[in-house]
Amino acid sequence: MDLTLLLQGILSGILASGLYALVSVGLALAIGVIGIVNFAHGEFFMVGAFLAYQLFISFGFDPVLSLFFVAPALFILGALIYRSSIQFVLKAPELNQMLLTFGIGIILQNLALVIWGGDPRSISNVPYRSIGYQVGGVSIGLVPLASFLISIFIVAGLYFVLLKTPLGRAMRAVAQNRTGASLVGLEVNRIYLLAFALSAALAGLGGVMIAVIQSPTPVVGFAFTLKAFAIVVLAGLGNIRGILGASLLVALAESLVATLVPDGDSLRNAVFFAIIFVVLIVRSRRQA
Amino acid sequence: MKLRMNLVLLALAAVLLFFLPDLLKLFFDKASVSYLSLLINATSLAILALSWDILARTGQLSLAHAAFFGAGAYSTAILVKQTDVSLWLGLPLAALSAVLLALLLGSVTLQLRGIYFAIATLSFAEVLKAVIQKLPSSLAGGAAGINVEPLFRPQFIAGEMERWEIAFLRNESYFLLYAGLLLATIVLSLLIESSSLSYAFSAIRTNEEVAAVMGVKAARFKLLAFVLSSMPVGILGAIQAHRIGSVSPDETFNVGTTVLALVTPIFGGLYTSLGPILGALGLASIEEFLRRTFSEGYLIGYGIVLVLSILFMPKGIMGLLRSLRKAQRESL
Repeated sequence: MDLTLLLQGILSGILASGLYALVSVGLALAIGVIGIVNFAHGEFFMVGAFLAYQLFISFGFDPVLSLFFVAPALFILGALIYRSSIQFVLKAPELNQMLLTFGIGIILQNLALVIWGGDPRSISNVPYRSIGYQVGGVSIGLVPLASFLISIFIVAGLYFVLLKTPLGRAMRAVAQNRTGASLVGLEVNRIYLLAFALSAALAGLGGVMIAVIQSPTPVVGFAFTLKAFAIVVLAGLGNIRGILGASLLVALAESLVATLVPDGDSLRNAVFFAIIFVVLIVRSRRQA
Repeated sequence: MKLRMNLVLLALAAVLLFFLPDLLKLFFDKASVSYLSLLINATSLAILALSWDILARTGQLSLAHAAFFGAGAYSTAILVKQTDVSLWLGLPLAALSAVLLALLLGSVTLQLRGIYFAIATLSFAEVLKAVIQKLPSSLAGGAAGINVEPLFRPQFIAGEMERWEIAFLRNESYFLLYAGLLLATIVLSLLIESSSLSYAFSAIRTNEEVAAVMGVKAARFKLLAFVLSSMPVGILGAIQAHRIGSVSPDETFNVGTTVLALVTPIFGGLYTSLGPILGALGLASIEEFLRRTFSEGYLIGYGIVLVLSILFMPKGIMGLLRSLRKAQRESL
């Protein structure tokens, strides 16, 4: 086997895992802390991508600068959606949450289709998009590298918040025991609101990066919802720390198949879901 | 007793459905073509939704119904393309392949619950879609898919009928076929509801461990539900393949089918026979109305309807009807 090709596959996989982790960790927050099955999560990602695109087109904002605008914008969008609908289904059955958030997803996706149309859009003419480095025959694009580093930085920041700050402690407390948390004086509803808004902001940040890496259309969101769900489930519900490992596993597998197998690029999705399926089945048998 | 009354009602509905296309034609003339296509949408949605609900009664929330649909569609398409046998043989073959697939998927997912089960079934459907795409294209047509012969070739003399009449004629036979499949699915669902199966199903849904302690063989009932749920969907896929005229991985294994299979029963009312049907009728009509009124971006309205329905009728149309009836009784 060609060693450089193998190294290239591994490296691209590692770089791609950062974005998966960033998007999935937001969903894990929504499921783990609030207990809400959010089928609109990928749409926050999509909105982030198109906001960054619009900021670039209208004002020439560099995507890196857009990160600082998109995050608060998505935070506010998330908060609005939480206040107007999510908070009413906190105790409803999972299926009701699914349908509600799915409805929200349809609204966001079709609003985007009306505003931006169905064609793929991308922030293509930033000067650094074509910069790449060669290390021993393996090439590293600056954009994937930067998006990996930024993603990991944000995910690490989230871990820090959850582990070391009062807000994070409150979120973990609420996640463990809602009644107990409210008994010791935590404002549960406010913490849920913050967690949901934060979850949307994290997805939006991922969206900014996808707008530079790929050329998304407004229908890209649902696919990312499904993938993020798969990663969260792979890590185990409520296990926010497991997200990094799960993202790395699927991203590596995708990338290795795409680089090593002839015509492997079209197999990316199949490999992704095959891994999820096998892991879920094997794990369930072992526990039984 | 209740079953017998329901079956009588169903027989009446069958008679009505049989004459419905003629009635439409009589009353709406040219506009009847679009009413008929709305009815076709509603009926096929109802089959999908009711089948999904049958499985959900055991607590198994499938995201794999596009796979059963696709298995039925593809097995028919391949049979028709590769052999010269009667087109109608495709329908039982579709049912068979959907059932085999369901047994396979159902037996490996027995230990999975809730969202884990849902994601596993979704992954299964996505992998199957890729497998179909990678089959030799002489067999399954690759990413482009295969064309499928129509089941019905209405006889008409060119020039003697208007264009809308020919379109109507073409859809009329399909509608009767869908209606027949829907009636069969309803009978299936009613039989389950009135037998001891319904107790076993809801015991498993409520708490599988407790059900097992009470002597309910959970694995057997869960697999049975899988089989019964997949059969109508497989046949539906086959009919749809004939009517649309082609199958392709992206269209036939569309995750949208899976989503509709679950959205509709929730909208109508879960774990009942009537709920998914009302849901299908409601959603198909609302979508058609919105499409005509707003054209571009009409799905925004569809999304708003879904959100509002969960906020204001969390138990679906059935829940709404139940509380209306209760309020009426109390006011008397």
